[in-house]
Amino acid sequence: MKSSTRTSTVRIRRQLPTSPWLFAAPGLAVVAVFILYPFVSTLNNSFTDKRTLIPGEYVGLANFRELLHDDMFWIGLRNSTLYVLVVVPALVLLPLLLAMLVQKHIPGITFFRSAFYTPVVASIVVVGLIWVWMLDERGLVNAVLEAVGVGKVGFLSDQWLLLFSAMAVTVWKGLGYYMIIYLAALANVPRELHEAAAVDGAGAVRRFFSVTVPAVRSTMVLVGALSSVAAFKVFSEVYLMAGPAGGPAGEDTTLVMLVQRTGTGLTGRVGYASAISVVVFVVTVALMLLVLRADRKEDA
Amino acid sequence: MRISRISRRAVATGAVLAVLLPLSACGDGGDGGGSTDASGKIEGRITFQTWNLKANFKPYFEGLVAEFEDKYPGTDVKWVDQPGEGYADKISADAAAGTLPDVVNVSPDLVAPLAKAGLALDLDKAAGKYEKEYLPGAWKSHQIPGTEGTYAFPWYLNTGPLFYNKRLFKEAGLDENKPPKTYGQLFDQAVQLAKKSDGKVATLANVPTIEDFGRYGVPLMNKEGTGFTFNDAKGVELLTEYKKLYDAKALDGQALTATPESTGKKFLTEAVAMNPGSALDLEKFKKEAPKLYKNIGITPQISSTGKDNMYVMGVMVNARTKQTPAAVAFAHFVTDAKHQMEFAKKVAIFPSTQGSLDDPYFTKQDGKEETRVRIAAAKSIRTAVNYTPVLFSEQMKVELRNAVARALQGKESPEEALDNAVKQCDRLLKQS
Repeated sequence: MKSSTRTSTVRIRRQLPTSPWLFAAPGLAVVAVFILYPFVSTLNNSFTDKRTLIPGEYVGLANFRELLHDDMFWIGLRNSTLYVLVVVPALVLLPLLLAMLVQKHIPGITFFRSAFYTPVVASIVVVGLIWVWMLDERGLVNAVLEAVGVGKVGFLSDQWLLLFSAMAVTVWKGLGYYMIIYLAALANVPRELHEAAAVDGAGAVRRFFSVTVPAVRSTMVLVGALSSVAAFKVFSEVYLMAGPAGGPAGEDTTLVMLVQRTGTGLTGRVGYASAISVVVFVVTVALMLLVLRADRKEDA
Repeated sequence: MRISRISRRAVATGAVLAVLLPLSACGDGGDGGGSTDASGKIEGRITFQTWNLKANFKPYFEGLVAEFEDKYPGTDVKWVDQPGEGYADKISADAAAGTLPDVVNVSPDLVAPLAKAGLALDLDKAAGKYEKEYLPGAWKSHQIPGTEGTYAFPWYLNTGPLFYNKRLFKEAGLDENKPPKTYGQLFDQAVQLAKKSDGKVATLANVPTIEDFGRYGVPLMNKEGTGFTFNDAKGVELLTEYKKLYDAKALDGQALTATPESTGKKFLTEAVAMNPGSALDLEKFKKEAPKLYKNIGITPQISSTGKDNMYVMGVMVNARTKQTPAAVAFAHFVTDAKHQMEFAKKVAIFPSTQGSLDDPYFTKQDGKEETRVRIAAAKSIRTAVNYTPVLFSEQMKVELRNAVARALQGKESPEEALDNAVKQCDRLLKQS
């Protein structure tokens, strides 16, 4: 009896290390097939001259060398970087202010919370088309501008206005999403801190910078990390507003648009598009590390 | 302890295999099966794919399939339809995965890369006997420069007139019954229209595309199909004229980012005075823009070559089909004179088969505006040309579009812009 119990205990002990793997196996298989394999495949393709219908051969770093001399790549990198620089600060700060506004318990606030969140659940294609109609030469925005004597503005024909219009749509659509994250963070800020600061004579602005911001700093870092990755990989807004060619003379093309344009279709250069994807991946990881490092510095 | 070590190794091996096994499956996606011999018994199961036709023509195609299956007992045709958006990507994915249907609705620019990859059946070898049933130009439309063979049956053709807004012409002091017939007249009238409307009304909503260059008489490609030539003096001349239009606001301000849909909308809302179209559009104008419909003017396409532009659709047979006789028979069945004529009567398109255009449906006037447009288009299609080179890929279209935009914005001279476009297109051609 004793010996059999000991034997079974030993068996269980011996089997334990494999059991977690068995439980994790389905998940690991999914990750391997749908995440790891495409990643390895993209990395592998970036060193080949593979086409959509032609397997291609290894060309070493030729694709990456070609990137350096490709004007469109630099345009894409410029636009994606600019997107991060403009959109991220807006998406870190504005949703926080919005969250503070809707945090207040006043009648009808639920309506405003829902209203601010509506763009998040709306399809990006629908949102893009609505904004295209609004910003068109004969659209609502230009009609208003003409009525007040400003005159027509080429939101969809000027390279920079087009890009900034797309940024505005990204910010508008993201506000509600990050507002919800901030609302959760603000709910955890002790009211006593605000009360104590108020007693000490701190005004609303001072309380914001001395109490609210430090309390939600880690959330701000999270929002910064999430929005910078999303902004660098922007596609839909620019594609919908600037068209498949990427605006006038392709000047509004972003890196992900370039991946799509180069690598898809029957004559797609899969190898070259993969090389651009690798650059996007490296920059995205670098962005994440940068944001996290900044956070650690603050902690220190 | 040992067991756990072994199992970790096993897990690691499993993980590596999970990643590498799919990699080993990479290849051309086919088994190299299929043959060019279509003379065997017509039987077996085949798949037929159309391009965005199910929504409007489901009964026609269901009838077509049923008729074929009745005619050839032992055959089973599975009809699938793909949306218009992303059709090329869908075909790419299928081709790469080896799941391309047996019979596929294609356009010449889609069939070219498939033929180069050995995925399109050479009909000169497999079905050359049917060539005489089709218009010579239509049969040739699926041939690839520098390559032997024909890679799809010609199916329906489409062309159309230029529509113009009589009211806008009249308001600009132009004779609304004398629309431009030549490029010179078009450019002059467009500038006048822009001046009179103080830049509020443009005449055209789109920048010149490759077919516009072709219609203007620009040689687009060398005979060998090894290089593009649209940067010659004639091409520069056309782009220079467009630059003048753009500066005079005779070309819509959003033309540089326009799409066919957006230009159509501009014309519907009377923001631009002219737009190319087809007989299909008249019904749309009547429904969606009755005010425009009352003022609609119709004039033939402007062309320096005397030949209009036309769009060609084809039906390709997958070179790797297991049922070559059935696939070839069905592709021919879909595109033969009888069925093309039936289809043409359901929608404003034109058959590519010999003699079909002599049918009273395309020659006899009945007083209706739609009929007038159809008859005029049928007349022009006899000599029309598909100006878009078969080898002109989507990426090349973007290169040309961007070059044109740079020239119109004044960032590059027309000559410099076209030289760069040709250089880029030639590079893409070599890589394809």
